[in-house]
Amino acid sequence: MSSIEKLVFEFEMQKLQKQTRRHFLMDCVGKIGGLAMAPLLFSCDPGSNPAKSMGLNLSNRDLNPLSPLAPPFASKAKSIIYLHMAGSPSQLELFDYKPELVKNHNQPCPESLLAGRKFAFIRGVPNLLGPQANFAQHGESGAWVSDFLPHFAKVADEVSFLKAVHTDQFNHGPAQLLMQTGSARLGRPSLGSWVTYGLGTENQNLPGFVVLTSGGKTPDAGKSVWGSGFLPSVYQGVQCRSKGDPVLYLEDPSGMSRDLKKNVIEAINSVNQEEFNTYGDPEILARINQYEMAYRMQIEVPEVMNISDEPAHIHELYGTEPGVESFANNCLLARKLVEKGVRFVQLYDWGWDTHGTDHDGSIDMGLRNKCGEIDRPMSALLLDLKQRGLLEETLVVWGGEFGRTPMQENREGKTMGFLGRDHHVDAFTMWMAGGGIKRGASHGTTDDFGFQGIEDQVSVHDIHATILHLMGFDHEKFTYDFQGRPFRLTDVEGELIRKILA
Amino acid sequence: MNRYRIAFFLSIALAFAIIGFLVFGEEKQVDFSSQIKPILNKHCISCHGGVKKNGGFSVLFEEEAFAITESGHAAIIPGDPNGSELIKRLTQSDPELRMPYQRTPLSEDEIDLLKTWIRQGAKWGKHWAYEPVKEPEIQTKLSAGIGSSDSESSNSGIDFFVGEKLQELNLSPSAEEEKMKLLRRAALDITGLPPSEDLIKDYQSGKFSYEQAVDQLLASPAYGEKWATWWLDLARYADTKGYERDVSRTMWPFRDWVIRAFNEDKPFDEFTIEQLAGDLLPNPTQDQMIATAFHRNTMNNDEGGTQDEEFRVAAVLDRVNTTYEVWQSTTMACVQCHSHPYDPIRHEEFYQSAAFFNNTRDEDTHNEEPKLRFYSEEENGQVAAILTWVKEKEGAQKADQRADFLSFREPKYHAHLSEDFDKAELIDTKWLGMWPGGSAYLRNVNTQGSDQLLIDYWSGIDGSKMTIRNGGPSGEIMAAFTLNKTEGEIVKEVPFKPITGKVDLYLEVQNPNAKPQQNTSTIVWFAFVPTLPGKGQPGFTEVQKSWNALLNFKGTQLPILIENPNYMSRSTHVFERGNWLILGEKVNSKVPVTLNEWNPEWPQNRLGFAYWLTDKSNPLTSRTLVNRVWDQLFGRGLVSTLEDMGTQSDPPSHPELLDYLAWKTMNTYDWSMKSLIREIVTSATYKQKSAAPAELFSADPQNKWYARGPRIRLNAEQIRDQALAVSGLLSPKLYGPGVKPHQPEGIWQTVYNGESWTESEGEDGYRRGIYTFLKRTSPYPSFISFDAGSREVCLSRRIVTNTPLQALVTLNDPVFIEAATHLGKLMTDHSANSPEKGIAFGYQKLMLQPISSEKQKALKKLYDQAVLDFKSHPEEMVKFYTLEGDTSSPEKAAMAVVANALMNLDEFLTKP
Repeated sequence: MSSIEKLVFEFEMQKLQKQTRRHFLMDCVGKIGGLAMAPLLFSCDPGSNPAKSMGLNLSNRDLNPLSPLAPPFASKAKSIIYLHMAGSPSQLELFDYKPELVKNHNQPCPESLLAGRKFAFIRGVPNLLGPQANFAQHGESGAWVSDFLPHFAKVADEVSFLKAVHTDQFNHGPAQLLMQTGSARLGRPSLGSWVTYGLGTENQNLPGFVVLTSGGKTPDAGKSVWGSGFLPSVYQGVQCRSKGDPVLYLEDPSGMSRDLKKNVIEAINSVNQEEFNTYGDPEILARINQYEMAYRMQIEVPEVMNISDEPAHIHELYGTEPGVESFANNCLLARKLVEKGVRFVQLYDWGWDTHGTDHDGSIDMGLRNKCGEIDRPMSALLLDLKQRGLLEETLVVWGGEFGRTPMQENREGKTMGFLGRDHHVDAFTMWMAGGGIKRGASHGTTDDFGFQGIEDQVSVHDIHATILHLMGFDHEKFTYDFQGRPFRLTDVEGELIRKILA
Repeated sequence: MNRYRIAFFLSIALAFAIIGFLVFGEEKQVDFSSQIKPILNKHCISCHGGVKKNGGFSVLFEEEAFAITESGHAAIIPGDPNGSELIKRLTQSDPELRMPYQRTPLSEDEIDLLKTWIRQGAKWGKHWAYEPVKEPEIQTKLSAGIGSSDSESSNSGIDFFVGEKLQELNLSPSAEEEKMKLLRRAALDITGLPPSEDLIKDYQSGKFSYEQAVDQLLASPAYGEKWATWWLDLARYADTKGYERDVSRTMWPFRDWVIRAFNEDKPFDEFTIEQLAGDLLPNPTQDQMIATAFHRNTMNNDEGGTQDEEFRVAAVLDRVNTTYEVWQSTTMACVQCHSHPYDPIRHEEFYQSAAFFNNTRDEDTHNEEPKLRFYSEEENGQVAAILTWVKEKEGAQKADQRADFLSFREPKYHAHLSEDFDKAELIDTKWLGMWPGGSAYLRNVNTQGSDQLLIDYWSGIDGSKMTIRNGGPSGEIMAAFTLNKTEGEIVKEVPFKPITGKVDLYLEVQNPNAKPQQNTSTIVWFAFVPTLPGKGQPGFTEVQKSWNALLNFKGTQLPILIENPNYMSRSTHVFERGNWLILGEKVNSKVPVTLNEWNPEWPQNRLGFAYWLTDKSNPLTSRTLVNRVWDQLFGRGLVSTLEDMGTQSDPPSHPELLDYLAWKTMNTYDWSMKSLIREIVTSATYKQKSAAPAELFSADPQNKWYARGPRIRLNAEQIRDQALAVSGLLSPKLYGPGVKPHQPEGIWQTVYNGESWTESEGEDGYRRGIYTFLKRTSPYPSFISFDAGSREVCLSRRIVTNTPLQALVTLNDPVFIEAATHLGKLMTDHSANSPEKGIAFGYQKLMLQPISSEKQKALKKLYDQAVLDFKSHPEEMVKFYTLEGDTSSPEKAAMAVVANALMNLDEFLTKP
């Protein structure tokens, strides 16, 4: 069987399982890991609410802040996989093909483009740098994709490109914060936090907002890019790690068996039940619930984080290798997680900051290698989600925090050892695919050098507004009160990008 | 006859100068704050207030509301409702004219109220929180109060006001909490720790009354640690700079200052003044300088390519916002961009406030100067010798200037001010680097006529000849010197030609040995400090030597606030729409007009601002303090929106109680926080049982009316501290640099930052949570699980959540397992071969209560299960039970399992 045939077979098998998936989620109590544990109070049925039967007027949310909620409007997507390339890849080597830039390679950048602009490192008048990749059109949509991404070129029909995205932050930390939290300053909730706050999550045995990192570093802005800001901390991203405990403190203490842990939790919960009988404080009920969930999480998280049981053709498709920290593994994990009902999966891949200061940071060599790391897995992710019928309910977003300059970097006026591009805020490319997104579309145009958007420009806030829309929210009405005023992810901006909606 | 008609006739009656109320009976005065303002806010303000002033009409400010509108008339004519356009438009039948435009009309009652208000003279008023604090009346006989009349606590106004409200709502207060539970509650609230063995004994035996026990707790140094934790959330205290690289900084002397201030019961007004403006007090002490680090907790951006000025401005604006949030429960973040749609503070007033804070020396530089130097005793001796020398030769003023320079190295010019680089650069946008033959300018410099330049730099090569000229390449040579290779960063003294006034300095470097694009040195700052006087006189060499050594001091240094000298002062402008690059009109420092008046005797600077804030006429400072202390103890503020007391806030549940405590704190207690806390925790309201029957829970689920005592989950630090305390592991050590207790591998992965989490050794691994090193982009993980913040911005309240990740911490975190093992050992030692006794001992130790038989049964069952489990898996037992100096046995290990369960009980994690 070829890997595609295997995939189709796998797909048929999955379809069968999928019909029972909902059932599985509901029936999360009894059979996980072969251990039976009768809950004292709770079933996993989101409709059950023990407090009601005790005459207490409490919502499911009071007992479990992550219980699923229906969005205010009909949603197009149920979950999100966000692939953030930290450091920011060059749009000019990947998607935004500029023949004029080829012609003007090594020519001084026109002064008109530089007037009044500040760059992070470029000083004086730099030279233009022609694209260091070869471009061709692909698929029915005729999308321009370079030879840095040969696999992705084959699935380009699945996505909508946004070619004229702009931001107003030209340093990594603030730009990543803006992209992920809607504000360049620390302290605001991340996109994933907003979404899990608004919608909860479907599988209570897994965190609702999972973060996976690769490239050896967390993003420049640190864990704040998945922080919950002023939202309750329960909505912050939970980093699942490939080394050590997949979730912090998940592993039982050395020497404590699962059976014994179950006994411990039963003892705690029955004493807590006694306590509730005395105090009548519903927080105690909530705590009983949380201890049961913790126990189940201890089983389900390692299961879902273990990719070694995946069939060989899946490993081949993604290019995964169990046991290492890689973008490929994270793509496969992302699929597994949304399949299990996780609301928001955020991937960060570090190492895209191609200034031309060294080999790894060069546009012609370093960037090509970096693309090699993501090309197969991100294409496999789209394909795999599609084959499983999950793409229609999963929104996939790809992008960096800004773009790269059409000019070659001349750091502080110096000649650089390698070809590099500086940070660029005026125009860069992102793409979105899946739940509610038009297939094979390209939105936005940049000028001849790819310096600035000239048509259908979109801002970071517009992207947020669109993501929230697809999840069933009006971004202007989705607010949270803090420090005496209502806050929004999109602050006072953001317009829906209607042209890419399916 | 409807009320509309009555009003109509009434106005006619007034028009004919007939005394209306004699005819129609006495009419109740309409209250603007509680009756009119809400109507205006609800229906009018979104189009007529703040940003929008449709038709030139706004109801945000008094003078706007009565001003001439675009129609040429005022919309409100006091005394004449029917002549007022406001009323006409509200009652129009034409939908194009009727207000609110295209929305539901106002109710008849609302229109009547507005009319009555206008007829009564349209008296504008203030929101309750902007009215001065008045002493509320308490009836001498506390008939409505709770608590027995013979106890000391019944004298508190708290019980009177709470009782009054309960009576009104037909709720009954709960009985007093069981004695030992109450002690545990008070100890956790006051010290953040369970009570000590001694206190338990003395209180149980009756040696101490409850009130005496409270005094013991308030006198314990642990009190300062507990309450400092609260303050550090507001102060956004952390041990790293934040942003991208998030490298460590030294802020801990400030944390220690806060702990000491609480323990000394420093009055809140002094506490405030020292933190906001300690540097501007006359002859400030070192402690008063340390206090100003409060506003140096703002983040500092080290990312390459960032503009320092942008982040200096961000820090200044954060200081304004934080000051108003911490002391005034007022959100300024909105008015940063536009006039506040609801609260009467204006856009320009934000920048007038900012002008108080915009004149400090700090400029978001990498080195975080200005920093206070903590000299050793020996070094302080050298400082004293230098100052005595200078005073003798040049007088007190020169000695003072030199004292300042030794203390915090100001004034100086940072390298990031250099510009117009030719073969030169700002290395990583931070430091001046000049290549051979390179040049740069340092403009607008006032050398104060100094005959000497200090240059702070490092270099890897010898022989860079630097020339500094006046004005440009052909200007007069002011200094010429050689910069050589250094071992690390040093301060070098070079002769400088004295000149007065402001000059533009042109800097150039030659070095034939350097490569074409090689930096000849890395320059950090320039300062103009004259040579020491008395050269050649006996003793001079010694003084000069000390001076040079002190200049290169490398010990502990704390970022502080220092005001600009006049010749360096900045002007402040309004930022249009909050954008720091679009400057609007220039503003002078001024406080918002809505709040208390400025006393002209106060200095027009941060110090004056601090006096204004702590003046008894300020309506918000004392109310804010009381509200937040109350929240710490009851888990809810009297105004539940802790961050905001403005018109958008929740109304206070007990307004008189809030004012009673605010007034008393200022006037009776002279701002003593201990006295305030003492009054609250000795009140009958606080001492009530926290258990509640289901009916009471349903009637008041949030315990807003206090018919029961507070029952709240402990905070992140308390949960750790308590576990360490009951297992005997907690170190009592106070103060010092942040510690790094055990945390899982691989938590720190910050870019461009070589720092790592090196686990603290010995007792430093078991210190109280307040001493745990806090890295903003990667805080201590178990604290984050329990809702502690990352301290990037001011946090008025931690929102308490209840999640499975918390259960995982207390069940599995090695810290908690270690504590359980130690506690298990204590339980085994007290079991006398009866596991029930051991379990009962453990429970009693943790909860200060005898265990009930049901709980005993459940835990004994667990014990038996664990014994069986470990008997059949001895190899697992050995892994689980690892206590130095002790051998394992199934029974001991099982007891440790029970201890682990005990430390996970809701009642242990919760204040009873």
